[in-house]
Amino acid sequence: MMALLEVYGLNKRFRGLHAVKDVSFTLQTGSITGVLGPNGAGKTTMFNLLTGFVPFDTGTVNFDGQSLARLPPHKIVNRGLARTFQLARPFVGMTVLENVEVACLAPRVRGEGKAGMRAQALLDQVGLGEKSRHFVDVLSYGDLRRLEIARALATRPKLLLLDEPFAGLGAGEIQPLADLIRALHRSEGLTILIIEHKLREFMQLVQEVIAMDFGEVVAIGTPAVIVRNPRVVEAYIGKVEFDAPGLATTGDDVGTA
Amino acid sequence: MVQILVYGAVISAIYAMLAVGFTLIFGVARILNLAHGSFYALGAYAVYTFTAVVHLPLWLASVLAVLFVAAFGMVMERVLVRPLRRSSLAVLLITLAVALMVEQMLLLVFGSEARNVPSMVNATYHFAGVDISSQRLLALGGAILILTSLWLFMQHTRLGSAILAISQDAEAAQYMGIPSDRIYSIVMGLSAGMAAAAGVLVAPFQTVIPGMGLLPLFKAFAIVVVGGLGSIPGSIVGALLLGYTETIIAFKISIEWSQIVSVAAVLITLILRPAGLFGKRAAF
Amino acid sequence: MGIHKVDRLAVLLASAALATAPLLFGSTYTIGVLTVALCFGMWAASWDFMSGLTGRENFGHSLFIGAGAYTAGFLNVEFGLSPWWSLPAAPVCAVLFSLVLGLPTLRLKGPYFALAMLSGAAVMQNLTIIFSSYTGGQDGLNGIDPILDSPLAYYYLVLIFLVATTIILKVIANSMWGTLLRAIRGDEASCQASGINVNFYKIASLMISAAFAGLGGALYAHYQLQVGPDLFAVVLSINIIIMVYVGGLGSIYGPVGGAILLSVLTESLRAFSEYRLWVYTLVLIFILFFMPQGLIAPLWRRIRSYVA
Repeated sequence: MMALLEVYGLNKRFRGLHAVKDVSFTLQTGSITGVLGPNGAGKTTMFNLLTGFVPFDTGTVNFDGQSLARLPPHKIVNRGLARTFQLARPFVGMTVLENVEVACLAPRVRGEGKAGMRAQALLDQVGLGEKSRHFVDVLSYGDLRRLEIARALATRPKLLLLDEPFAGLGAGEIQPLADLIRALHRSEGLTILIIEHKLREFMQLVQEVIAMDFGEVVAIGTPAVIVRNPRVVEAYIGKVEFDAPGLATTGDDVGTA
Repeated sequence: MVQILVYGAVISAIYAMLAVGFTLIFGVARILNLAHGSFYALGAYAVYTFTAVVHLPLWLASVLAVLFVAAFGMVMERVLVRPLRRSSLAVLLITLAVALMVEQMLLLVFGSEARNVPSMVNATYHFAGVDISSQRLLALGGAILILTSLWLFMQHTRLGSAILAISQDAEAAQYMGIPSDRIYSIVMGLSAGMAAAAGVLVAPFQTVIPGMGLLPLFKAFAIVVVGGLGSIPGSIVGALLLGYTETIIAFKISIEWSQIVSVAAVLITLILRPAGLFGKRAAF
Repeated sequence: MGIHKVDRLAVLLASAALATAPLLFGSTYTIGVLTVALCFGMWAASWDFMSGLTGRENFGHSLFIGAGAYTAGFLNVEFGLSPWWSLPAAPVCAVLFSLVLGLPTLRLKGPYFALAMLSGAAVMQNLTIIFSSYTGGQDGLNGIDPILDSPLAYYYLVLIFLVATTIILKVIANSMWGTLLRAIRGDEASCQASGINVNFYKIASLMISAAFAGLGGALYAHYQLQVGPDLFAVVLSINIIIMVYVGGLGSIYGPVGGAILLSVLTESLRAFSEYRLWVYTLVLIFILFFMPQGLIAPLWRRIRSYVA
């Protein structure tokens, strides 16, 4: 069976900085994969390359059998590849409902019924149903993350890219969000790719990890294998977030969700 | 040909004085000073008043005019601009209000007829078969002198270096300590003084009317956009480009065509390279 | 979504008020003042449709006004066509201009976009003066035929166009288009990430804005019976922006009210003509600092909440 996403030899230079270097990996349909790496490793840049926000220099990106090269972001979304942003970027001045309605108006899903109703249903799904009439300006960080996810879901993606969904969340908000992601993975049959720093939730969520450093893919494997990879450990020396108890000791397959 | 060279030089030099002042205050204090043209006009009117009304010798009148306008600019900054500094829109509007006020006042006091400012030097030179008024040459020389002095000030004094650094990179300036209010005042004084000096130098051969500051303001703005907001070399290069292009077109084609150069330059710059020639990134 | 019942009633009442105004004040002079006010209303509404909704402030709106007005002038004076032809032709011409300037400036952000549009209008103003043999230079084109001979009848014609313009633009603003345009204002990247073709909506809203502005320009030309390069002036664009702010950004009908109000007001301050720009600037400063939501739209919303 063909992989949903196939990336070969992806490269991007910014004026001498080789931000993404020969990155290659594949994602199988229905999988939930993580991207791990310290700051500056090129993770978000890679997301930007995959989603068309930044053009890549060389490489191929095949999504569902079709190349994504040189497509603008909105066209990629309409092919079924959606993303969230690291820093939540809601449509200010509009209500929560309207924020999701916008995505419901994307050509891919425009005919699927009244935007307002679909939007409300999506908000219910992510747990924001009661806040639909509120203006986005008053939402908490955790709620903004859910809003981003609802917006991305509105476009009926086959592949969902989540950029640091747990960043900036308080201890109480992380687990519910992880549960939500897990639930969506099961119920929608989504393929998910997550960038994250917060290892505990991350490692329990994903089936496979792509470890990056200095723009390159350093290792790919299950979470248990990755945390023992010397290069990965080396990249994280000194990082406070590297705290994944129960994974670095015994047992090969600690399993994910 | 020689005429083009000289006239182009004169106009470029004047433009440079206006543009450098404009870009300096923007680079340092992020102020788009719409009253900049007023400083130019006030310089011309001040020298007129000091000679025709107070009967001071020309050289003294010129110096006083520049100092007066510099002080005016500093007062404006201190009293009107600084309290509103949080909102760049408010600052923009208040400088616009000052510009309108100045023009209105000049109209009321001096009327709308053009005023005559005597030339500092009266000889006319013949050069390679062309007549060039020495006043124009003086304007050129004066402008070069002033710009060079500014450059020396920025390179060789501590205050000057600080100003230069801040104007080039306001973020780096934060690591050097937030620019003190004193620096804002000084830069505004320099900016206003240079604009006034431009006005003083051209007063003998330009039409001195209350609205004379509007077009120079726009030219300065256009040059700064093309050269890059906050960049002094950009302003100088931009001034030369605009000055010479306008002069060449005015001589070879028509005056009307030369007026379109500045507007077209802004448009083309924004479409092709919004940051300008030497600008870092979008300055807004 | 259309327009709510209360709003429909308001439109009816406002139209009725505007329709009876000339009958009350009678003279050809006041009818003329009101006709011009209605033209400003069209220009303000069309500006608000794009800039008010998307937040991309267009400082060169006069480009479209002048384009429409000169089209009317050309067709009538140079080509001798009946003045009725201006009505379809002017919007078309204005839309072409919007494409020429709008496409290259798509990616420009806020102040840069504003400045580029302003420069575009200024370039056009200069070109009009330069090519004086075609355009009449500073004197412009004179001797344009009126569309209707009776000033009162023409006033009603312009009123019909204004009401139609306001309704059409408001309906579009209340529809899916409005949501998308406001989202563009909210965050362009998120719009893209939601699958929306942002560039398409940006250019389309500019074109719509231009079309109605151009139409207003033609109507103005057939009132004034002459056109000149001043129709491309920056001052005109800025006056319109002030009217929009007075009326209430983004409401479409507010700017119409603001335009009519300010037009009539400045006309009555005719004695102080030199200070007109002063007055406008003061008004703008006042509104920006004390009433950023404008005057008319918030007032109407307040009334509405008591009635509906």
